[in-house]
Parts: sequence; C-alpha cells; structure tokens
Amino acid sequence: MTTVTMPKVNCKTTRFGAIDVAEDLIITLPEGIIGFEDCTRFVVLHVDDKSPFRWLQSLDDGAVAFPVIEPWNFKADYSPSISDSDAGRLGLTADSPKLVFAIVTVPRKNPRSMTANLLGPLVINPITRQGKQVIVTDEHYTTRHSIMEEINKKA
Amino acid sequence: MLVLTRKTDQSIMIGSDIEITILEVRGEQVRVGIRAPKDVSIHRKEVFDQIREANVTATEAQADSFPALEDLRD
Repeated sequence: MTTVTMPKVNCKTTRFGAIDVAEDLIITLPEGIIGFEDCTRFVVLHVDDKSPFRWLQSLDDGAVAFPVIEPWNFKADYSPSISDSDAGRLGLTADSPKLVFAIVTVPRKNPRSMTANLLGPLVINPITRQGKQVIVTDEHYTTRHSIMEEINKKA
Repeated sequence: MLVLTRKTDQSIMIGSDIEITILEVRGEQVRVGIRAPKDVSIHRKEVFDQIREANVTATEAQADSFPALEDLRD
C-alpha cells in the first residue's frame, strides 16, 4: 500500500505565524494583485468558520494578506461583467463556475464601516485555481462599497 | 517617459502588437484609439490607481479586525 503525501509549502506569516499549506490549496494569480504584482501565490485562510470573512494570505510575502469576502454574503445580485480578455485568460465562460472574492477594507477606528472593492474583484477559476484581479466592465461599481448599507437594504 | 507629439490620425506603436491612434482633438479632450492583443488589459489610470490604493489600505488590517456580519445590521 502506498501512502501519498501532498507536498506542502511553508510560509512565515506576520498575522498567523508559520503555516503549512498543501500545494493543491494554493491559488495562483500570475499577474499578482494590483500594487502587489510580485505576490502570485496565495492561500485562503478561514480564521473563523462562523464568519464569511477570510484572509487571502500571500505565500510570497508573509506580511501581505488581504481580508476578503465572497460578495453574495452581503449582495446577492452582484454579478460582475468581466471582459472577454479577462475571461479568456482565466479559461472561463459566462456560465463557468467561478470563485469571486472582494477585497475588504476595514477602517481600524470604525470596523463597522468596512467596504468591499466591487470594482476590482478577484476572480478565480476553481478548477485550475488560477485567478486575477479584474476590473469589471460595469463602471457603476466602486472600490468602496459599504457592506453595512448593503446588508441593511435586505432587512 | 518618452514624449512624442502627434497630430490627429497619427499613431504610436508600442512593441509590434500595440497601436495607439489619436482619433480626435477637441479643446481639452483627446480621443485615443488603442489596438492591442486581447490579453493586454487597458484601463483609465484613475481606475487602476483607485484599485491599487484600496488594495494597499486593505493589507493594513490586522487579524483581529472583523466584526461579524450580524453586527452590521441596524
């Protein structure tokens, strides 16, 4: 009987200490994230299973991590239009399943006023685990979409 | 920065695949046409800068930052 161990990558992170990540969980953004073009390998960390917030931790720079959330958690009708060139690069069509994360900005002095970047979401092909920070073609979205306002619209 | 002066209908080549054409000059506004391969993304600089700024600010958060989504309800 052969035991197969998934190769792991180790990373020393500033927020979470040293972590071991199985290679098949790594998400690759070949173009990095805008402003962080050298950070191309990431892992999604679930710090609290009860919360929809996650951390997208860079494996290339332990100090770099982005709070992220899948936008359906607070805005069910968010369906960003992605350019043909971005879709082609990711191997996605209009109907393909895709993993979408919005980067969240949490103001330290007032965390409840946190905002999500719906103009530049991270779109990931869940099968290839390759992704990109795209700029959506609907220009009415902003980089600072209030999560609190959106949640209270439903109520 | 390379600076070139062009007239309407003149073009600039960047590499062999990207062509920028001045389509129209009207007062303060210049209409620019860009031909580039599909895998090259093209955006107004302000949009790009806004996204970069939001990304940089987002990474300033530390691990203890998040209120629960429920706490955001009125």
